[in-house]
Amino acid sequence: MAIKTILCIEDDRFIGEMYVRSLKKAGYDVDWMVDGNDGLVAARNKPYDLILLDIMLPERRGSEILQALRGKEDLIPNTKIIVLTNFDQDEESRVAMEHNVDAYLIKAEITPKTLLKVVSALDGKAAQSGQ
Amino acid sequence: MATVKKIPIPPKVGEYWPRYRRRALLITVVVQLIAAILIIFPLANSGAVASTGDLILAIVTVLTATMLLNIILVMHLLVPLGDISAALTHISGEPTIVKPPNPNDRHFEQDGFKPLLQLVYAVSSQRDNKQEGGESDDTTSVNFEDILSTLPVGFVAMNADGKIIYANKAAPVRVDSDGNSNLELLFDQNDTLEKWVAECNERSVHGEKIWQRIANKIPGEEDRKIYDISASYEKGKTAEVVLTLIDRSGTYQPEDDDLDFIAFAAHELRGPITVIRGYLDVLGEELEASLDEEQTELLSRLVVSSNRLSGYINNILNASRYDRRHLKLRLKEDSLANIYDSIKDDMHLRASSQRRLLSVDLPDTLPTIAADATGVSEVLGNFIDNAIKYSHDGGVVTVTAEATDDFVTVLVEDKGIGMPDQVVRNLFHKFYRSHRSRETVAGTGIGLYICKAIVESHGGTVGVRSTEGQGSVFTFSLPVYASVAEKLKANDNSNEKFIGKGEGWIKNHAMYRG
Repeated sequence: MAIKTILCIEDDRFIGEMYVRSLKKAGYDVDWMVDGNDGLVAARNKPYDLILLDIMLPERRGSEILQALRGKEDLIPNTKIIVLTNFDQDEESRVAMEHNVDAYLIKAEITPKTLLKVVSALDGKAAQSGQ
Repeated sequence: MATVKKIPIPPKVGEYWPRYRRRALLITVVVQLIAAILIIFPLANSGAVASTGDLILAIVTVLTATMLLNIILVMHLLVPLGDISAALTHISGEPTIVKPPNPNDRHFEQDGFKPLLQLVYAVSSQRDNKQEGGESDDTTSVNFEDILSTLPVGFVAMNADGKIIYANKAAPVRVDSDGNSNLELLFDQNDTLEKWVAECNERSVHGEKIWQRIANKIPGEEDRKIYDISASYEKGKTAEVVLTLIDRSGTYQPEDDDLDFIAFAAHELRGPITVIRGYLDVLGEELEASLDEEQTELLSRLVVSSNRLSGYINNILNASRYDRRHLKLRLKEDSLANIYDSIKDDMHLRASSQRRLLSVDLPDTLPTIAADATGVSEVLGNFIDNAIKYSHDGGVVTVTAEATDDFVTVLVEDKGIGMPDQVVRNLFHKFYRSHRSRETVAGTGIGLYICKAIVESHGGTVGVRSTEGQGSVFTFSLPVYASVAEKLKANDNSNEKFIGKGEGWIKNHAMYRG
């Protein structure tokens, strides 16, 4: 299952626009939500191939969204999740999140170009494991 | 036993014996006199004795002789009683001038009195032990527990099976659904209480250890407390492990809040940097064809500066974490070439935009290392950045590596301004900047400090050789993966989902070596 549809949950308008622009240019189908509540609703209502999840979000933090989606049971088993944040959490919280996601990246350390590489790497993995 | 119990009752033990002896002698004398009278009267009446003078003489002689004999007899019979009395007086603790009888005296051994005396002394020592241990314990331990329960310091006692046999109120102990008490403490997984106890079990009779900054809950949860913990281990005791926990939240929490502040500040700073770096990358690609040489050069300066800025923020975050013992690394098998690859473009851009030549030779043939890729790339970046800053226009910065025993050593060499000895000595201290570099080169003085912290957290070392006016060689060594692989695998907490080659990822520290 190749990655085609992407949900970007990002409250920083500049950063959101930047990622959406690059992803769309690369041919992905991208929806963009700017707050945590809308993000969670969108993630539940539509089966995305990939979710880009920020942590410091208004209304509902990324960690809560993750908990709601993959806490008790995995509501989105066919969706990959990349956490994209500039917030350096404490180790314990970070490890807890990393267990439930496919990648955890610091936004300031990557450019849109790097993000595209990571997405296609995830895609490659998915293809390899025969999904 | 009954006799023993009466010992402390007044009048004094020591007074009994002389009184009894006096009375015994008095009775002897009186009995003798009565006996004499009973003999004298029938004799006098019967007229069997010739004269009164003879009679008196006979009476006095017999009376004196029998009385003396009787007194001697009584005194002799009273000797054992005197000895027992002296022994008892002695063990009663009363002041006395009488010497306690020694059961080892020859005459005691000969007449068989020795075991009797020994018994008296043995009973006495049993009584003493009881007072010190058992009996007094029964009466005071209840109070002791009361006292412990009101203390703000946590106490936990565990038996040889690691089961909690006592915990006071202040101790962070949680009772699970099966009714078992468990410690609610988040030890660093490489330095847990269980590990230490297991080590003690294996090789010590007695042990002590102190942990600092151990929290009971992850940040953000209610009632989070941070403890300093002191543990003692005594093999064979009922309470084999005793923990004392001091709640230091008051001290550590504000420091953690500072850390939160720094994390939030970094979050704010990183937002604009993300956009700057991102769009610079996008623009560089999209405008590539239309920019002239100078414009390309200007753009690359923007890229270099924004990358540096991002690196500085990481340095500040890492340094504040390290100071608060929060710096965690995850070591896995990696190659230097691979790690350098992630910063290669950035480094070459930095060098070329400042007109330095950067020559990097990190061959694939080097053994793999146990490294936290992000951490090591930050160290490499800082070292190379420094070499660029402190070398001359057009100068060469050379990065090489060599394998020695269990380490791979990276050398970053410049032919720049170099440093005198006293500068070299302080180089890895936080915020240290040499007088000269303060005037001429931008920087925070935090880079080398955090480099040292990161390398040492890997179990490696940093070093520097420098000659003023000729240049410097900065080195850092990291453990060869094979030399620590076993220890790393033992700590595998398997997060295979993380992008990369998951070899099990690990927190701190130098403990992986040796």
